[in-house]
Amino acid sequence: MIARALRLVRQQVRVQFQVRLFNLYSFALYFIQPAIFSLVGMLLSRAAGNPRPDLIYTVIGSGVLGMWSGLVFSSLYDIRADRRDGTLELIVASPTSLGTVEAIRTMANVLTGLVSLLAAFIIAVLVFDYSFAGVNLAAVLVSLLVLLAGLWSLGVFLANFTVWSRLSGSYVEFLEIPVALVCGFMYPIRILPEWMQAVSTIFPIRWALEALDAALTGSHDLARLAECWGLGLLLSFLFWGVTRLLEGRVHDRIRVTGEMRSI
Amino acid sequence: MPPLVRYARLYVIQAWYAWRSLFGWANPFSYFTSKFGFTFFSMLMFIFLGRFVGLNDPVYIVIGNILLIPAANCLSGISMTVGNERAFGAMSYLLGSPAPRTVIFFGRGLFHILDSFLTVAVGLLVAVSIFGLRFSGMNFPLALLAVLITAFTTSGLGYITGSVSLVNRDGWMITSTLSLSLYILVGANFPVSALPEWVQPVSYALPMTRGIMAARAALDGAGFGEVAGLLAGEVAVGLVYIAVGYWLFRWLERKSLVNGMLDSV
Repeated sequence: MIARALRLVRQQVRVQFQVRLFNLYSFALYFIQPAIFSLVGMLLSRAAGNPRPDLIYTVIGSGVLGMWSGLVFSSLYDIRADRRDGTLELIVASPTSLGTVEAIRTMANVLTGLVSLLAAFIIAVLVFDYSFAGVNLAAVLVSLLVLLAGLWSLGVFLANFTVWSRLSGSYVEFLEIPVALVCGFMYPIRILPEWMQAVSTIFPIRWALEALDAALTGSHDLARLAECWGLGLLLSFLFWGVTRLLEGRVHDRIRVTGEMRSI
Repeated sequence: MPPLVRYARLYVIQAWYAWRSLFGWANPFSYFTSKFGFTFFSMLMFIFLGRFVGLNDPVYIVIGNILLIPAANCLSGISMTVGNERAFGAMSYLLGSPAPRTVIFFGRGLFHILDSFLTVAVGLLVAVSIFGLRFSGMNFPLALLAVLITAFTTSGLGYITGSVSLVNRDGWMITSTLSLSLYILVGANFPVSALPEWVQPVSYALPMTRGIMAARAALDGAGFGEVAGLLAGEVAVGLVYIAVGYWLFRWLERKSLVNGMLDSV
């Protein structure tokens, strides 16, 4: 049983990695777009007269942006691609549920996005002499895990939420940059107006990023870190719960309408 | 029907359908999201980025990003419009038709140019109202002229990337990368002089750079004489890009006829 599940995960992850690897658009999402935003941040910083950019937000934050952009596009477009390629019927008819397939795919997409974050860290270290001295490494690792959980829960939610409409491609515009905007990917969240800060509280990644920022700046305030991790995990769980409900609705609709392509 | 009227009719009709259908703007929701979504939210992101690094006046960034709207229409839009001929399987019919190529090719840009001009004009008016800028100190008609010229010249980039997307399945990635790099290169978020010196010649070799500078100068109250050089330079750069785009399209068409692979071009 476990061996079969692991085989399914391995095959799905392998296919998903290959799909992402051979798609040049993924390259743009994971590397080029974050690099452009990072460069704009650096040049704005230079125009403002700062001797060097803020590495945590301007460079490493762009890596998180790459992870998020890659996830949003892959989550929203995977099912659309299945519709177009005619594989959706095969997936729905297979013994493995669409929800399980999406969960594994999203996990692979989130893990693939780590290349963007890794590239940002490498650039911060090699180009800008970023030092890990003083960084709370253990807290960084925990925050990263909470971030991955948050991204995964949002990814599966989006994958299921958007199968209801063929206009899912248009929703990307209201998710990719707006979420990055309110969750403070490239600047501290405190500079946002209060209503935007309030909106961001529903996103698990906002709490993971707050913890990551604190850990990278060397914070050992365990109470605050634990609060951020806890909220991040709790919200991830809530998003996952809503996703499970949506999965059931999607399958009911397929059975009622008899139209695979309607999802 | 006289040939000139026939050509004009063909130009306008196919330009309208190319703009409305090939860019996937068949409904208002798609239209507004694809045009304003990324542009608007990126602008907000840059405003907050600016605030974080110590630039507290967002007007420069707001005006620059509004002036960058032609990139969405005239670069991404035209590129997608031309590229989708192949993606939707219409290329064989198009190349097999007796319609004059010049009319067809340039028709792909007409409504994108007009659309982006109107959008920027309205966007500037909204920005002026929101930020309480005074109209009395501006040369608004001249700014609009600069915007119209910029929309026209940016179409050259779209024609080139559109032609490239006929032979390259990853053409959209090239268009997207170029479109994103304009946020840095053409002086939308900070002056070109803030760029490293070796990058500045690249900026001046691109459409939009001089147009944006001219529009900003006009909004600061400059007269025609002060920006004439910039506008002339913008037109010259744009014409080069448009000519290269058209030549590329015709060359690819001839190549496709030799290869006998119409839909692969």
